[in-house]
Amino acid sequence: MRKSFCTVLVFLACMANAMAEHKSSDRIREFSKLPNWSGIWVQAVWPLEVSGRVAGGEAKLREGLQLIRQPPYNAEWLAKYQAGLADTAAIAAKNATFTACTRGFPALMESPWMFQVIVLPEETLILFENGQVRHIYTDGRRHPSGDDLWPVRLGDSIGRWEGDALRIETVARDSTEPLAPRAWVSMLSDQAYFTERLRLIDADTLEDQMTIEDPVAFAGPWHMNLKYARQKVVNRLLEYNCIENDRNPVVDGKMIIRSP
Amino acid sequence: MAIKICRSILIAAAALLCALSATAHHSGAMFEDQKSMVLAGTVKSFQWSNPHCWIQLLVAGQQGTIEWSVEMGSPSQLFKGGWRPSTLKYGDSIVVTIHPMRDGTNGGLYMSASRQDGKAIAETAAN
Repeated sequence: MRKSFCTVLVFLACMANAMAEHKSSDRIREFSKLPNWSGIWVQAVWPLEVSGRVAGGEAKLREGLQLIRQPPYNAEWLAKYQAGLADTAAIAAKNATFTACTRGFPALMESPWMFQVIVLPEETLILFENGQVRHIYTDGRRHPSGDDLWPVRLGDSIGRWEGDALRIETVARDSTEPLAPRAWVSMLSDQAYFTERLRLIDADTLEDQMTIEDPVAFAGPWHMNLKYARQKVVNRLLEYNCIENDRNPVVDGKMIIRSP
Repeated sequence: MAIKICRSILIAAAALLCALSATAHHSGAMFEDQKSMVLAGTVKSFQWSNPHCWIQLLVAGQQGTIEWSVEMGSPSQLFKGGWRPSTLKYGDSIVVTIHPMRDGTNGGLYMSASRQDGKAIAETAAN
């Protein structure tokens, strides 16, 4: 009796092991079909110098940034946008004092921070040097529904592979935050949804074809094309802890340099 | 009339924005973008830290020795430019060019630097 019980146990253990190996080989096969986006990347409009600034200054930077351009608002939202622009004192105050240690989506995709892309069969992760992570689930799931979904800064992203391109859909972005630093009066509604097509267009360039649609605020879709350059000197994601030694507090509405 | 008002709003907004130095972590409005200042002094300390590295520079002048705070990029930006935590040491004599603070305090944004003998402090990397 005991012998046959042991035989059954050994048989079940062997079966479980065989099934696990089978699943593991399936996963390896899936993994081998995925593109290799390893390396360190940074948004192409942010070639930061030792000073921490962009060569050519603000004017040069603004030429390249796409999220600070005027969104394709409908008449109602355009009026709100223009009223916001008219408040130059508020914009000047914001410009003079802003600090950005993290960003919401989609601003994060146009941020100055280096990142790595980790491509797995179940999800793709975009890891930024400031510690923010985008999770793009590619396991076939849908966005959560009902009470399981609420607005967050990076929204909820799912994706699927179309050849070597990752098609990403993002919803549930926190609509209380402006679109990006410098775009202080550009707002989206809570119905905004985002489609991205991320792919390698040459050995050293990742491209994100992004479309923003907003049935409440926009008259039509907003297309943009973001590019990321492979970093060849920095070969690891260096820690960027924004509060380690922040010596730029705002005092009486002005940013200052604090003594060490 | 409405077009005129819109145009002047846009011009005013553009002027406000273009007056700023484009830094990654915070507003660059506190720096005089159009001015540069050369400081020759000795390094009191070199802070290799986030979100910015800093050179504390002792500059001798008629009023005595004054300490200047020179703001730089983050360690990853300096690393890319060939800098390392050991690049500057206490007592090093260097010449630093900065965009000074608008409020007249003893600080500014790093533009370039060299040793007192004119040699480059770090090799600049391409990417």
